[in-house]
This record gives sequence, structure tokens and C-alpha cells, in this order.
Amino acid sequence: MNIARLSPIFSAAFAIAYVIIEQNNLALFTYHPRINEWGWLMEPSRNGPGMYWFGWLGSSALVASLVALISVPLLRNRPVPSIMGWAVPLICMVLFVYLLRAFFFR
Amino acid sequence: MVVFLLILHGLCAVALLGAITHQTFAAWWPARKAIGFTPSFRAVQGAKFTNAIVILFIITFVLGAVIYPPYRLNGRTYLETMRMWSVNGSFELKEQFLAIGLGMLPFYWHVWRQSLDDTLALARKMTSALLFFAVWFGFITGHVVNNVKGIM
Repeated sequence: MNIARLSPIFSAAFAIAYVIIEQNNLALFTYHPRINEWGWLMEPSRNGPGMYWFGWLGSSALVASLVALISVPLLRNRPVPSIMGWAVPLICMVLFVYLLRAFFFR
Repeated sequence: MVVFLLILHGLCAVALLGAITHQTFAAWWPARKAIGFTPSFRAVQGAKFTNAIVILFIITFVLGAVIYPPYRLNGRTYLETMRMWSVNGSFELKEQFLAIGLGMLPFYWHVWRQSLDDTLALARKMTSALLFFAVWFGFITGHVVNNVKGIM
């Protein structure tokens, strides 16, 4: 299978994984900016706030890559619908507006 | 150094905005003849912007990630102390939109590097539109946040 054909699956999987990972704080690593230290997985704050966004990106990329790889044998002779590649990210962006609505209604 | 990187981040974002805006308008509202300013703006070959958009998106994203820790320590703390929730929330939305945009880049590159056929026309329009929205939202939000409280 052409690797480029997996791109809609990667795109959709990344968006879904990112929402789940962000909501449950399943960061692959944590950065502590005050002391300039990194740690594996989600760590509590150390002498200042912890930053999880980098870890969310890492977790999402890892999950999306695994999903795309697993889908190779399943989709060998089947067309990959291109709508997945943009509709799922669009839905996830709208979902984030809903999930973060509390910031705008305080 | 942080201020230099912030300005570089902003300059790359401006170049990215220009490219993605040209491409999105050309995809959604193509002009057959480049007569006058508005039709000329839309009469570009959108596919030729693709590699530049991917590279600029990644560079701008990485620069943003590098200057994110100073913002987290100084800017966001200030926004929380001042209870500026809508500004803080806008930045939260910015980081989520752009993260999803980053994950969509391989698909975006894939649909725009193909020769145009009807099955991919909608995907081209939608991927460009989503990146257009995410980049413009991120740019405006970044400016507002920086105007409220710089990262120093």
C-alpha cells in the first residue's frame, strides 16, 4: 500500500487521539519550564507549572502512526475515503470549542 | 533571544498567512483571468503553494513551541491572575487547532500533490480551509495575547 494513501487515516487518528489524550492528560512526556527538566509520562508540577502540550503531541503522533500501520493489512484492497482526512479534524476542532467553552462564559 | 524568536515566529506566520490565503481563495473562488487586484489574488495556481505552506507551517509551529515555555511562565500566569479567561481560552483553542492542523499536514500534502481530479477537489478545498482558519485564528490570538502581556 502506498504510504500516502494512509494519510487520511493518520489525520483522522491524530485528531481523535489528540482530543482523548488532551482531555485525559495522557502526555508522553512532561516539561518543567521553571527548572528546564523533562520527565516521562504525566508528572505533577515541580517548582512551577508543568507543560503537557509537547507530550500530548508526542502521544498523538505515536497513536496515529500505530493506527495507520495497523490499518495497512486491513485496507490492502479497499479505497480509503478522503473525507476522513478533513471531516474528522473539523469535528474535533468544533468539539474543542465546546470543551473549552467554560473559558468564555465565566 | 526570546524576543528575536517571537518576531521570527510572527514573520513566518505572515508568510504562511499569505500563502494559505492565496491557496484557499484560489480553491474556493477561482478566477479565470487575472484582471484587477481581487481576481489576480485568486488566479494563482494553488498547488504551487503546497510545499511552501507545509514548510512554513512546520517552521512557525516549531518556533511557537520554542517560545511557549516563557509564555507559560509569564504570559499565562498573568492572564490567570488578572482573570482574563476569554484571552486565556483563546490561546488554549489556538494550541488545539494548530495541533490538529499539524496532524492533518500529511493528508493536506497528499491531496494537493496529486493531479486534480473530482474525488479530491472537496478534500483540497476543505484541508486548505481548515488550515486557513487555524492559521488566521492562531495569528490573531497570538497578537492579542502578546498585546495583553508579552512573554518577557
